[in-house]
Amino acid sequence: MTPKPHIEVENLKVSFGAVLAVRGVSFTVMHGEQLTLLGPSGCGKTTTLRAIAGLEKPVAGEICIDGAPIYSAARNINVPAEKRGMSMVFQSYAIWPHMTVFDNVAYGLRVRREDAAAIKDKVMRALALVQMQAFADRRASQLSGGQQQRVALARAFVFQPSVLLFDEPLSNLDAKLRADMRIELRELQHRLGITSVYVTHDLEEALAMSDHIVVMRDGLVEQTGTPDEIYRLPRSAFVADFIGSANLVQGRNRRDLSNDGLFALETPGGQVIYGTAYGRPAGDELTVSVRTVHLQISPQRPAGDRNVWRARVEKTVFQGDFTQVHVLWGGQRLIARCVALDPLPTGQEVFIAIDPKRVVLLGA
Amino acid sequence: MEWHAWAVSAAVSFAESFSAQKIAGYGVATVAAVLVLYPVFYLLQAALDVGEPQMRPPTAYGFDNFAALLNYPQIMLNTLSVSFAATLMAVVIGFIMAWILTRTNVPGRRIFEQLMAVPFYLTPLLGALAWSMLGSPESGFINQYWRALGGSGHLIDINTPYGIAWVMALFEGSVAFVMIGAVMKSMDPSLEEASQVIGASRLRTMLRITLPLVIPGVLGAAVFVFAEMLGSFAVALVLGTPNRYYVITTAIYQLIQQYPPRIQVAAAMGTSLFAVMFLMIFIYRRIITAGSYVTITGKAFRPGVADVGRLRYLLFAVCVLYLAASVVLPIATLLFASVQKIAVAFPAADNFTLSNFRAAMSMNAARSALSNSLILAFATATIGVALMGLLAWLIYRSRLPGAGLIEYVVMFPQAVPRLVFAFGMMWAWLVFPIPIYGTLWLLLIAYLTVFLPLGVRTIAGVMLQIDKSLDECAQMCGASWAFRIRTVSIPLLVPGLVAAWLLLFIASVRELGASILLMGPHSKVITPSIVESWFGTASELTATLALIQTLVVAAAVAVLVIATRRISTHSVN
Amino acid sequence: MAHNKHGHITRRALLKASAALPLVGIAAPNVLSQPLSKSPTTVLDFQTNADVAKAEQEGQLVFYCHENEAGTAGIMEGFSKDFPKIKTSYVRAQTGALYSKILAERQAGRFDVDVIQLSDLAPAFDFQKKGGYERYESPQSGAYKKDHLSSPNGYFFWTGVDPAGVAYNTDKVSASDAPKGWKDILDPRWKGKISCKISASGLQFVQWYMLRKLYGDGFWKEFAKLQPHAFDSRVQLFDRLSKGDDTITAIGEYPAYILFKSRGAKVEFVAPPDGLVATPLVVGAVNKAPHPEVAKLFVDWAMSKRGQAWYQTNPNLYYASVRTDAPPMPTGVSLKQFKLLYPEDWDEYAKQSATFLKEWNGMLGL
Repeated sequence: MTPKPHIEVENLKVSFGAVLAVRGVSFTVMHGEQLTLLGPSGCGKTTTLRAIAGLEKPVAGEICIDGAPIYSAARNINVPAEKRGMSMVFQSYAIWPHMTVFDNVAYGLRVRREDAAAIKDKVMRALALVQMQAFADRRASQLSGGQQQRVALARAFVFQPSVLLFDEPLSNLDAKLRADMRIELRELQHRLGITSVYVTHDLEEALAMSDHIVVMRDGLVEQTGTPDEIYRLPRSAFVADFIGSANLVQGRNRRDLSNDGLFALETPGGQVIYGTAYGRPAGDELTVSVRTVHLQISPQRPAGDRNVWRARVEKTVFQGDFTQVHVLWGGQRLIARCVALDPLPTGQEVFIAIDPKRVVLLGA
Repeated sequence: MEWHAWAVSAAVSFAESFSAQKIAGYGVATVAAVLVLYPVFYLLQAALDVGEPQMRPPTAYGFDNFAALLNYPQIMLNTLSVSFAATLMAVVIGFIMAWILTRTNVPGRRIFEQLMAVPFYLTPLLGALAWSMLGSPESGFINQYWRALGGSGHLIDINTPYGIAWVMALFEGSVAFVMIGAVMKSMDPSLEEASQVIGASRLRTMLRITLPLVIPGVLGAAVFVFAEMLGSFAVALVLGTPNRYYVITTAIYQLIQQYPPRIQVAAAMGTSLFAVMFLMIFIYRRIITAGSYVTITGKAFRPGVADVGRLRYLLFAVCVLYLAASVVLPIATLLFASVQKIAVAFPAADNFTLSNFRAAMSMNAARSALSNSLILAFATATIGVALMGLLAWLIYRSRLPGAGLIEYVVMFPQAVPRLVFAFGMMWAWLVFPIPIYGTLWLLLIAYLTVFLPLGVRTIAGVMLQIDKSLDECAQMCGASWAFRIRTVSIPLLVPGLVAAWLLLFIASVRELGASILLMGPHSKVITPSIVESWFGTASELTATLALIQTLVVAAAVAVLVIATRRISTHSVN
Repeated sequence: MAHNKHGHITRRALLKASAALPLVGIAAPNVLSQPLSKSPTTVLDFQTNADVAKAEQEGQLVFYCHENEAGTAGIMEGFSKDFPKIKTSYVRAQTGALYSKILAERQAGRFDVDVIQLSDLAPAFDFQKKGGYERYESPQSGAYKKDHLSSPNGYFFWTGVDPAGVAYNTDKVSASDAPKGWKDILDPRWKGKISCKISASGLQFVQWYMLRKLYGDGFWKEFAKLQPHAFDSRVQLFDRLSKGDDTITAIGEYPAYILFKSRGAKVEFVAPPDGLVATPLVVGAVNKAPHPEVAKLFVDWAMSKRGQAWYQTNPNLYYASVRTDAPPMPTGVSLKQFKLLYPEDWDEYAKQSATFLKEWNGMLGL
């Protein structure tokens, strides 16, 4: 029996003033999983999240929780935000400065009229989970950014909501803290098993934390899938370049050269590159994505006869963990990211190679 | 039985739609609409009434009254010219003071900033009375000293349009200061630093960078000040009428004092001011949207304070000069006059007396006016804060449909001089079935109406500084609207609400235009009673009365400020 | 008594000559509101038909008056002293404004006024016609000539007369240059230095009417060329005069002159030989008053010797009493010594109101 989805968003449209910010978005979230809405700023991911929360009113579409609609344009249903039983962590943390840490976290429980003893117990346990129990009586306005972040988190899950929404919660933290918090959040989410919808523009965050990712652009969904699927098999040029860095190569489909289930693409410069279609339709003109990290560069000719070419080094950029090498390849520039490479002087002739399985056909 | 189910579900959703939020929101919107539109209706009705003047309701409608305005070109011209001149002067004063106090390291900045509120509180009426005593061509003290020093004729004549504009500007200058100062404080200092790094002098930076960037703020202040000038009554009355110089407000006042009163022409005159105001606002909007003037981002800046070296002392002197002209000199003058039998510049020893004080204290009107004013101010401030707080929330934070319309309604009284508004109210509430006419209740309603723009704008300013997400988060925690208002919104707003309360209290005490037409036998209040005294008693007694009332209320305000300071510091941030 | 030095026949003289009916006889057939059986009682030292006990129970007097603040307060002070149990409150405005106010209120169904005092007979007649006054015959009526009572009696009476001549500042005008008669105020040297009252003033209307009659339509047109400054009250006029802001005033009221002179002001009064313009100050109880007995009591008080003495001696009033047995004014001057100019035909006078307003306002730039 297929498990029923927890959250279903169907053809959601939300306008922001006169502009349609979300133009027809659909996805589902299963129980206990974290789904991330990923995309550049202005793509509509935050608006979609707020629509699920009930803080924005859509103009069309449907949102269902466990099959029951909380928003439906057709059936004229719109459950107010405070009655949806969800919880949210805001980008600015939204910690109430006039209350103590304890009161901040206890707020949701007090709304639900729990008794004082139960409140105390739950709040302290929640604070312990985020390692903030020592700060319970501190005035909330005296906390640092990271500390406010944790309090916001504790406040969000203390009353056991069915869904947790995150609106770019880590974007105001510095890089190191962000990296640590990412992992903590993920563990917490697993431990509590609460269904989460997470919004971010940070690729690493999305890849590290999500069970599923929805890539959005200009108010529409570009691609949905697991982090691995999206990384390995991008559907469009946009996704290919947004998720990791990729070279895009275009050319004619040389059907006469295709074999072994691989297709052959001839670039305008005359190079032939073999790739895998992965079920996408192959027309007369093809575009493939070649990840920078998959391109291999070596001074000597590597083994194999497919997908090996000569190229000339244009420049190298040292990036610490890897070196970015720009090469000229048949009139086109390619970028490769190489690890532990001996220095390559400009103008040197090198060989580049790529596994055909890593040459992904982009399609519909 | 489908219709049955449908009817039940319709009834349920109808009942559900009556959330507390909607009731409060639409309730307060209705109150505001009635307060503002009811008198305007009567005003317009009177302006368009061309029938028999004494007949109510009007027997005939037409535009003849507006045509009749063409017979008074001088009055319209006077109004516009004196308002423009005064606005220009006030904005210049405000700009200079704002620049000195927010951008330079003049000594005593903080104290001066506090003191800048005093001219506002003192009211133009006091200034007009004092400057009348200082600058009348014959009896003015300054001119008497001038002649004693050997000069001939008079040094200044305050009873001219320039004199009127000068006194108006002196007192409205403090309002311009507050508005322009706020803009300057929120400017990004890096914009100016960039200019200085390139090598531009301070003066050049101020003229080429600072000045252009603050223009929208300055223009906004100018439009606001212009509206105040159009409605200015006290100064034109005290300084203008003795010299046969009338502006629209004083002309209206005279026209309705006669028997038979020329209500219709007066109403047409008042209505014509709407047109002027709308034109101003229209021009203002065109200028603003034409350029890009983004200076105010969400971040809070510490604006750059320039070290001006020796210039500090000159600027200090400028500040002192302004406060001397607008506060010290007027009070000293009134004091000087109040202790004389007949106020002259060089009094003989036997000219001094305390009888004026005795007389003023015993005047029934003085005592009841004082207590009435304080009670009224308390009520206005308290009810006003609640009413305007809800309105500010309704317009800027709620998402109830139609909320935007209410903003126009609420800001409308600003485009209408208060005397004109009161004129409409006189008729409107005269025929109202509940007998509030002639009582303090009527003044309360009038004040709440004319202060709507002031109160809503002040509270909205504070409200908008509070991040929306604080309220949304409470929503996500499951809190209903009423719960959120109580536990999140109000506690965070308290300092702003306290400031608004004080502002409304002071505005209520100093109000003249609205109250002079609506006072009744049992509802005398301070500022109009000073005007009445000016009409009917010796100027020395008037000066005494004005002085006593001002000092008593100043004491009350000081007490309140100290009391509320504890609240402000004990709460947020 | 009826003739003054120049043989000027006043209306009152004519009426007196023709009237042969006893005072009571005029009153009796028309008294509707007073039962004849009620006989006056004596309170303090005067007679009244009001029910004093009931008045004290009503406890309040609402008084509308044209006088300036100090004057109105002064009148109230006098009444309060005699009847401490009755709280007084007042509204003051210049006659034109006052009259408009009470009419507007009554039209809107508000009846909040007990007694009204006006400085012009034209609105008084109008109010009588409109049924605004309460018909109340005071037992004090006997002390007044019929000219100084309403016709028929009981609506209003003349509580005093406010005579005005010319006044000037003695520092600025030498005795030889001083004006001697009305025509002298038209001298071009007074341009920009002469004051008068606003159009809402009853006395100003009388002056306009009388001097026009005496000297022709051109008089005020000449006056307009002087660009006079107009004010609301006599106190303002003398305040400015004493300080030198104006050199001369065209309408110097005698009461104000006395007041300011006593304070040491450098002002001098001129009584033109053609006569002083004067306006009656009329008091009447208002119909549908909230405190009817108090209203009647006040009218009796004001008419009585006691009340008239107050009106005449209070420094903010200094009215000249027209009571037949009134003593001289505090300065020793008796009203009879002045030749007074006021309209003979009050109806014709009233009809001129619109013309006056137009000309006067036009002169001031309104």
